[in-house]
Amino acid sequence: MSDSLEDKFLNDFESNQNIVHKICRIYTTNSNDHNDLFQEITIQVWKNYSKFRGDAKFSTWMYRVALNTAISLYRKSTKSVKTQDISDIAYKIKSVDYDDTEEKQLKALYNAIQKLNDIDKALVFLYLEDKSYKDISETLGISEVNARVKMNRAKDKLKKVLNP
Amino acid sequence: MDLLDKYKKAWENQPEDDQKVSKVDIYRMTKLRSSSIVKWIFIIGLMEFVLWSVLNIMISKTKYLDIYEELNMLTLLNYTYYFNLVVVIVFLYLFYKNFTSINTTDNTKSLMSKIIKTRKTVKYYMYYNIIGGVLLMIIFNIIILNTPNGIEMLMPNEAGKFADSSELVTAFLISQTIVILLMIGCLVLFYYLLYGILLRKLNKNYKDLAKLDE
Repeated sequence: MSDSLEDKFLNDFESNQNIVHKICRIYTTNSNDHNDLFQEITIQVWKNYSKFRGDAKFSTWMYRVALNTAISLYRKSTKSVKTQDISDIAYKIKSVDYDDTEEKQLKALYNAIQKLNDIDKALVFLYLEDKSYKDISETLGISEVNARVKMNRAKDKLKKVLNP
Repeated sequence: MDLLDKYKKAWENQPEDDQKVSKVDIYRMTKLRSSSIVKWIFIIGLMEFVLWSVLNIMISKTKYLDIYEELNMLTLLNYTYYFNLVVVIVFLYLFYKNFTSINTTDNTKSLMSKIIKTRKTVKYYMYYNIIGGVLLMIIFNIIILNTPNGIEMLMPNEAGKFADSSELVTAFLISQTIVILLMIGCLVLFYYLLYGILLRKLNKNYKDLAKLDE
């Protein structure tokens, strides 16, 4: 692969890595697995980067590859011992008037999403990332109608976990 | 305001990650090898093709060749050998074709379906070998039983241990059945463990996603 393609990939990936971290945080429960999954997603995005045509936004394309890796390709290397570290991750809320409520909500949200199954995690994640039903149906490969039905169920499950 | 809207606001306001990875580290990661299940399915699949093919060659080249000749089974074995060779090539082609169609940029459902299809090719190859092996063994047994002194020919040292030939036939059949059942049992257990562990999550997710579209 040419250097310029590599440079372009590094720029694109570095500036969008936050998406990958969020996915790692909902699909893994400790920092070792987080790093493993991050690494596998990086490899998969790079391996397929030459197929990225640029007709869609890089981030949109990356959602698909990253979610596919988390759902279908990744296998935890170790038996997952839940050394939950959501609370260890320092969430510094970026709003000017710092509000600790949002920090707590964010922690609760991550904890709740982790209790969902893999497909529901993807649905909720895409909802939180403000993706349209069209995008969601294209990413997961289901019809828009089914995406809506599944999304409503996933949201209901999430609400139940958040507010038992 | 919906309960989730509040949480969504917190989600949108979450900070950039503290674990930000530098370009140098991202570059290093791109040089590492993938450890995805697709890679494992490919490696294990290839190993299975090699294993079954070696087993086939070994069996067809054993010391029993003389006995096969005496039993007039050499022609049958030769046909089986070449037929098997064609089948292996067809299976390998299908396996390779399915494997290369796996694309991480596909939508999730299609990706999972292609991974499962690739795995199924190997599974069918295993079924072919087991069923083929059992069929050959049955044909082999029928021919032996229909050949005068067939069992004595196969097990000359054992023949003297039994009072009459019907006892020898019974012992022969029982031992063959036990061996076949044990072999199949071990294989099934091995496959369940191997692919069960590897594909449990994927199968579950695929079913979950495909459920609504059925």
